[in-house]
Amino acid sequence: MFDIRRAENGDILLSGRLDASQADKARSVLRTVVESCRVDFGDLEYISSLGLGVLLEAQRRLSESGHGLKLANLSDHLSDLFRLAGFDTIFEIE
Amino acid sequence: MRGSFNRRIDALDDVFRSIDAFVVREGLPEPIAFATKLAVEELFTNLVRHNTGGSDHIDVDLAIEDERLVVRLTDFDVEPFDESSIQPVDVHLPLEDRKVGGLGVHLVRNIFDELTYAYSDRTLCVTAAKNLET
Repeated sequence: MFDIRRAENGDILLSGRLDASQADKARSVLRTVVESCRVDFGDLEYISSLGLGVLLEAQRRLSESGHGLKLANLSDHLSDLFRLAGFDTIFEIE
Repeated sequence: MRGSFNRRIDALDDVFRSIDAFVVREGLPEPIAFATKLAVEELFTNLVRHNTGGSDHIDVDLAIEDERLVVRLTDFDVEPFDESSIQPVDVHLPLEDRKVGGLGVHLVRNIFDELTYAYSDRTLCVTAAKNLET
């Protein structure tokens, strides 16, 4: 079960399993983001390359207007995965 | 664990249920569970997306053999597969030059110790193996 929603403070909260079957759901929410935003991974158990691709698309689009995503509360597994994907150099990670 | 799954992205729920059962039965730690899910999903979705003319199901086998985690996917009635068609991914490029394609195989290659493709009799077998010894 995957969920993505905006918190009252503007953060994007991810939870569950972001696999290929859920990438469109994540994309549809991230496309509504037009300014810099914090993405909280604290309750996200799993992400695959298509989920990473959705984040990459959003980051590329936001960077064109000087904005970006800040990734927060990554588990050890996710931190390792993001490093292998080279995302530690193109995202700000808390 | 051996399972046969519909050649559809929305079969992933069934695939993950089988992986979860395998992980519990084998008592695998969380990092290995994560790696198992990642390898199966990346390889499964690649077969679904690229071998569009194949049969309507894909077999997934998971096993612990000689202190190695072995993930094997078998795709039937498919055209020959050219492994060299997989383009390497440069994860050091600046944001504007990054590409999403190929990232899944890149991750599996880095997390697992072996990734091999074998093709014969219109059957493609993809195997990823990871040493579990510390």
